[in-house]
Amino acid sequence: MSFAPRPAVQPWKRANTNRRILIVLASILPLLITAGLVIATGIDSSLATIVVFLPLQVIAAGFVGFNAYGRRGFGDALLVVVTIFFSAFVLIMLLSVFLSVITEGSKALSLQFLTQNNVYISNTTSLEYGGVGNAIVGTLLIVGITTILAVPLGIAMAVYLTQSQSKLRGVVRTVTQALSGLPSVVSGLFVLSIIVTFGFEKSGIFGSIALFPLMLPTVARVAEEALKLVPSDLRLAALALGAPNYKAFFQVILPAAKSGLVTALLLGLARVIGETAPLLLTVNVNNGTSWDPFNGPMETLPAYVYGYLSSSFNSAHQRAWGAGLVLLILVAFLFGLARFLGRAKSMKSKPTKQKASK
Amino acid sequence: MGKLKPMSESSVSTPAPARRKLSAGPLSTGDKWFFRSTSIAAYFSFVLVALVLIFLFLKAWPALQEQGVAFVYGNTWVAEDGQPLVMQIGPMIYGSMLIALIGVLIATPMAISLAYMIVFMLGSRLAKIATTLIDLLAALPSVIIGLWGFYVFTPVAISWETTLHNYLGWFPLFQVENPENAFRGSPFIAGWIVAVMIVPIVTSVTREIFSQLDKDLINGALALGGSRLTVFNKVILPTSSGGVVGGILLGLGRALGETVAIFYVLQISFNINWGNLLESHGGGVASWILARFGEAGDGEISGLMAAGLVLFVITLIVNFVANTIVNRSQPWRKN
Repeated sequence: MSFAPRPAVQPWKRANTNRRILIVLASILPLLITAGLVIATGIDSSLATIVVFLPLQVIAAGFVGFNAYGRRGFGDALLVVVTIFFSAFVLIMLLSVFLSVITEGSKALSLQFLTQNNVYISNTTSLEYGGVGNAIVGTLLIVGITTILAVPLGIAMAVYLTQSQSKLRGVVRTVTQALSGLPSVVSGLFVLSIIVTFGFEKSGIFGSIALFPLMLPTVARVAEEALKLVPSDLRLAALALGAPNYKAFFQVILPAAKSGLVTALLLGLARVIGETAPLLLTVNVNNGTSWDPFNGPMETLPAYVYGYLSSSFNSAHQRAWGAGLVLLILVAFLFGLARFLGRAKSMKSKPTKQKASK
Repeated sequence: MGKLKPMSESSVSTPAPARRKLSAGPLSTGDKWFFRSTSIAAYFSFVLVALVLIFLFLKAWPALQEQGVAFVYGNTWVAEDGQPLVMQIGPMIYGSMLIALIGVLIATPMAISLAYMIVFMLGSRLAKIATTLIDLLAALPSVIIGLWGFYVFTPVAISWETTLHNYLGWFPLFQVENPENAFRGSPFIAGWIVAVMIVPIVTSVTREIFSQLDKDLINGALALGGSRLTVFNKVILPTSSGGVVGGILLGLGRALGETVAIFYVLQISFNINWGNLLESHGGGVASWILARFGEAGDGEISGLMAAGLVLFVITLIVNFVANTIVNRSQPWRKN
């Protein structure tokens, strides 16, 4: 009872040398033809992309697909080409945002730009003087206070949504989700109406309060995801051993979800650090450096960008780009740190899973 | 489990402990306070929404009382010294809707393509990178998008608009009265900027729904001889359409509230732009608030509060509907 080993036939793999050449040609030719056409006739390149490149690419890919799989290959090709085209489009836009902010912003960036404040600086002052030091201080203080307010509350909300058995959880979740769509300008108007009603003076703390409703839903949602990732077996085991719920939370769930909760904090920070409209409505701008968020005006990075972009001088716009780059670096740093912690978490959780399965 | 010692005789012979009281509520006082404090935190979200509504309404009341219902649909805004205040936000509401609609129309195909690409075409490693990039796009502050839109994107978009006008100018949407002073600051550009900002949220909802689709269904359709295209049209889209529509509505809610980015790229003027997308005037409630806020007196501030209230109510409704649809189409997320 022995069979001679059959040659491995893989009918689903129909690529051979001819087909590979076709695929390479189909990926290169439309691009070359379009480029040639643009150079030769000088028509608008975006028009050429839509009118010449896209149809050519669809036809070329369709031909390869038809050659390999018959009629259904054509549908495949159409979908793949359109999908890749749109995705590449978004990617190009994202890269364009990054590249323009980095190239334009780095022209303004220097040590003095990061540390000096904006006193005696006008729209036409040379970039060798003045900087965003006061705005960095203001942004960090205002956003820091928002964090102190929003993070404990957001995590408590997430605990309520994951640990309690209340019937109102669905409603709370819905309202929190609705809150996450709160337009930032409305949040600013809300705090402005508080300021006007009670006759307060505008100051940094009101900026923090205006950012609070924007940060809260983000923290609550990400923290809820993080708490959900902790296996409920752990909590149930702690409860079965006689631990009260709060001990189970603080001693079992919290340590397990720690990095996820830090991610919630960081993503919440990244969400509000660049918010402009609420700060414009609730905090007066300040050219000097202010360390006191409870009194008087305060400068922030978004307000700095806004102020200098509203002027019509080129040197002022350079400052706006520079501050934009600082803002982008802050956001990217927070975001990258959040991702890094998230990854560290998922790596750690693997070995514990293996242990549990034994 | 080998470490467990055998039970000693004495522990077996002790009398059974008194029957424990069984109840579902928290047992200890510590627990009571634990749950009490978390529920206070949770109910705070109700309080917050109520506070926003109450305070805005209080401050908006004088304007609303004076202007009546016409505040929402009228189309005059006079706020100069010595003249009676007339504040009617109609054109701005219309402008917000127009721009949000353009944004959604542009963002939807991109978001669905991205989601399809991430879930069905990329390997897990590339998919993770793509997801991270999309999330990063979502985290970009709107003031940076505005800066980019003003400096980098507007010139590019103007060349697109010129092309559109040259070749499709006969189509009413792309008609322009005077090409000399059109194109810059048009609703078309603002729509693109809004699209860039809502692509991430639509993508992440769509991706989530695509990734939870029944793989057997898709493989079955492929085995029956379907191509990617037919599988997408006949299987993926019908089964996920509800959630995708919810995601698009979420994006619409975000688009309606966009402020700073639109403020930079749009030429705000108070006449209704009835659909000449390339003409350089348009509007938006949020940007209008920002534009008027600086020089507004007390009476006008009240009008702007009323505008904010209207904006909040609209986005609240849109978001509520969107979230209901999304939650219903993601039953696996219920815990």
